[in-house]
Amino acid sequence: MMNPDLDTLKRFYLAVAVFAFLVLVVRLGQLQLYNWDKYFRESEQNRIREIILDADRGQMYDRNGGILVDNWPSYSVSVIPYEFLKSDTAVTMLSSLVDESPEHLVKRIKKEKISNFNPVRIKRQIGFKTLSALEENRLDLRGVFYNIESKRYYPGGVRAPHVFGYLDEITAPELTTRKEQGYRPGDNTGRTGLELVYESYLRGTAAVKYVEVDVLGREVRDLNELSNSEPLPGKNLYLTLDASLQRFLESRMQGKKGAAIALDPRNGDVLAFVSGPDYAPELFSDALSPETWNSLINDEGHPLYNRASQSLFPPGSTFKLILAAAGLETGLIDTTEQVHCTGGYQFGRRRFKCWKAGGHGTVNLRNAIQQSCNVFFYKKSLDVGLDNWSKYAGFFGFGKETGIDLPDENPGLLPDKAYLDARYGENNWTRGLLLNLAVGQGDLLVTPLQMAKLAMILGNEGRWFRPRLVSKIVDPLTNETVELTSPPFQVAQVSQRTFKILKEGMYLVVNGPHGTAHAARLAGVDVCGKTGTAQNPHGQSHAWFIGFAPREHPVIAFCIMIENGGGGGAVAAPIAGGMLKAFFASNTTRVVKR
Amino acid sequence: MAGYGSTKRIDFALLTTVLLLIVFGLVALYSATYITESPASQLKFTKQLLWVVLGFFVLLTSAMVPLKTFHKYAYLIYAISVLLLAIVLIVGTGPGSRRWIALGPLSLQPAELAKVATLLALAKYLSHDSRNFDNLKDILVPFAVISLPLLLIMNQPDLGSALVFLALSLPVLHWAGLPGVVLFVLLAPVLSFFSAFSYYSFLIAMILIVSVLFLMRRGTFFFLVNFALNVGVGVLTPILWHLLKDYQKNRILTFLGMVTDPHGLGYQVIQSKVAIGSGGLLGKGFLAGTQTHLRFLPEQHTDFIFCVVGEEFGFLGGMLILALFLYLIFKSLNLAAVVKSRFASILVFGVTVIFLFQVFVNIGMTMGIMPVTGLPLPFLSYGGSALIANLMLVGFLLNASRTRFEYT
Repeated sequence: MMNPDLDTLKRFYLAVAVFAFLVLVVRLGQLQLYNWDKYFRESEQNRIREIILDADRGQMYDRNGGILVDNWPSYSVSVIPYEFLKSDTAVTMLSSLVDESPEHLVKRIKKEKISNFNPVRIKRQIGFKTLSALEENRLDLRGVFYNIESKRYYPGGVRAPHVFGYLDEITAPELTTRKEQGYRPGDNTGRTGLELVYESYLRGTAAVKYVEVDVLGREVRDLNELSNSEPLPGKNLYLTLDASLQRFLESRMQGKKGAAIALDPRNGDVLAFVSGPDYAPELFSDALSPETWNSLINDEGHPLYNRASQSLFPPGSTFKLILAAAGLETGLIDTTEQVHCTGGYQFGRRRFKCWKAGGHGTVNLRNAIQQSCNVFFYKKSLDVGLDNWSKYAGFFGFGKETGIDLPDENPGLLPDKAYLDARYGENNWTRGLLLNLAVGQGDLLVTPLQMAKLAMILGNEGRWFRPRLVSKIVDPLTNETVELTSPPFQVAQVSQRTFKILKEGMYLVVNGPHGTAHAARLAGVDVCGKTGTAQNPHGQSHAWFIGFAPREHPVIAFCIMIENGGGGGAVAAPIAGGMLKAFFASNTTRVVKR
Repeated sequence: MAGYGSTKRIDFALLTTVLLLIVFGLVALYSATYITESPASQLKFTKQLLWVVLGFFVLLTSAMVPLKTFHKYAYLIYAISVLLLAIVLIVGTGPGSRRWIALGPLSLQPAELAKVATLLALAKYLSHDSRNFDNLKDILVPFAVISLPLLLIMNQPDLGSALVFLALSLPVLHWAGLPGVVLFVLLAPVLSFFSAFSYYSFLIAMILIVSVLFLMRRGTFFFLVNFALNVGVGVLTPILWHLLKDYQKNRILTFLGMVTDPHGLGYQVIQSKVAIGSGGLLGKGFLAGTQTHLRFLPEQHTDFIFCVVGEEFGFLGGMLILALFLYLIFKSLNLAAVVKSRFASILVFGVTVIFLFQVFVNIGMTMGIMPVTGLPLPFLSYGGSALIANLMLVGFLLNASRTRFEYT
């Protein structure tokens, strides 16, 4: 024994330990035996309910600060399974209120519940009548409560469903992959358009609130000071869209299939972006009925398709500008060179027709662009050749995405020798294909957005920007702003001289005596453009008109395409003319006098 | 006599007690995590199972490796743990504090290792033959050994773990031979400080201190100096307190667990009491606790695990847990008194103090009689580092018990 005192010490500390445990035992007995009924009642009656405070989704504004996409309150009804399933009255009553059989309702709750104490959402967007009935019968509806949620509404009078996109409830598989981001069952998420692309900004952060409720589900006490936070609203998007221009084009495109896009060539801002036919964006704000969904899906006009950036069309004569550029740059087309058009061109055993049966007579490049003479470009395509043509078309961005901030952009199809070899077999195709490509027919396919980008490049004489729909993202709480800028690009392979020549031709298309697009003329503004009438095997020709204005330092570049619309000059150019008139009238400061 | 590595002298009663506590913890953890939305939460049960397995190997190691070896490397282990504490301050992670070092999927809490290491270092220092508590140095060095990790842990900040170190210091010195008088002289000012926040408590504390001083009969000088010291502390405390800025006061009160609402701790205690109280004599049954499953207690699987036991297994379940702990403490205290090696004696006593303190503060906290400090319940609370450290301590108990007739 090293220390005779250890035994004494041991006794002392044993006494301390026994005393400490005695304190714990007494307290345990006091809580669980003496005060048991009090605490048991409390645990049965006063429940803590976790309430998710959804964050407001970010709003969308147009370029002038007008609101386009906002939120509107809507109500949803939920139940706490533990309380609700105990009461037959509540089940019967609620089932009649939400129009669902009691058996089905109970089955669904049992299937969807996370635990007996987590709310299960029964129905979203209940009407005001149902809401009042819930409130009136509160005493009988044990474990039933309603939540305020929000739904999208569109106060700006702008439809633009293909731009905004829509929201939909998150699916079970998505929930497992996106759990990290804090998604919960019943949350909405962006499905298409900007709602999808900017989901992470728009969404915001929900908060959890604890309230103490009594047996009837009435809030007894707000325990919010004990929970972590307030919901953080999502960030607001400032769009580049010009609401009035968008509305104008939407009205002009009504009842038509096609696309109309207007860009600001100075920065790539998308001023208007219309795809027709469209649908009212509000359709997706309310819980979408299967009938509505089926009618959208089965509509022959395919209103859900975004024709402007996702559908492909042959560009027709608008694409002659590409051949002209390639020819001028390679020296294979001379501005003074003349070609005689008799209304057709004999190549091998086949005669390729010009659109003007009587022929254009003798034309040079400028006239050929002005009058859209096919024969000139048939002939020159053989000189320029497929390789040069596809190389230069590539410089103008064909065959690849423009990079707009919308999902699933289609890169189009730009054929080259390798492609044609693969498709038809090596040496199994003739240069006749080239003749077709030269006038924007054949295997070539583009999106209207790519054509609008081409108009921007031409107007800017080579300079272009990635088309963008969102210019800045603003935090509504802190006003913290993220400006989304993108650098200018330059089609450096094409010289200023070439651009000047193309622009002159395009000027004549609208303003020349034999131009094909007189309908786009505008007093006081030098409008430049190019028409196209693309034949297709499925019906009437597609009407194209692309262009920009004014001729020098353009402030707007555009592409109008009417699917199966007919002639570009007759159908598409007038829409552009109306648009430019409205645009320059409302933007008087931008008018550049001749 | 059985050699090292033999299992003949393993105290199976002690081992069974600890295993029962662990099983109880797993049952409660399963209940606390089984109905939640997040798979991460459900994963906790599996993770804890893995920790138990790992912890058992640690226990075997600390039970079988000769105590002499631990004695030999005590200072080195201590140095490493202090280094880890310093590292965690720089690279540590954790909600609102820096407590964990992330090692791939695992995170380690160096404070738990520091608990073991400091106890080893303390036991080694105090068990040296030449120690003499008339020598001031021999009192100061142990305090320094404790203060270094204590200060580092307070900086994380982790009040709960820091308190364990404080609780450890005086009883271990006392066990090692520090006279009760010195203990009192050191403890009394602390009592004066805490009681000085109210006139009544200060009065009661002063009466207590004066009567003990009187009973000590150590002369007028001793009496007056100690009396003056305690009155001084009591008077100065409120004065100094008023000189502090509000946010400083708040910080101190929050640190001491006296202001609880910033983290919703007061609310937790209310709900915890309801959970335990509503359990009654027999409890609501396994997985049937209503309070527990409302998830109002974010810490229910860690610090508030006792709620789950109380609600689902009632008074009988709670008593069983308390009885197991009391038995463990009773056995280890006895062992500390009979073990021949002085190093082992101090080590075992330290283990006893650590367990007693943690059990009392944690269970007291869930029942609303102790402040909420964030101290886990040994063997039951979720958390790998704590479990490993505690099983290592149990290993020391088994080791000392196995070799209790050996002097070194």
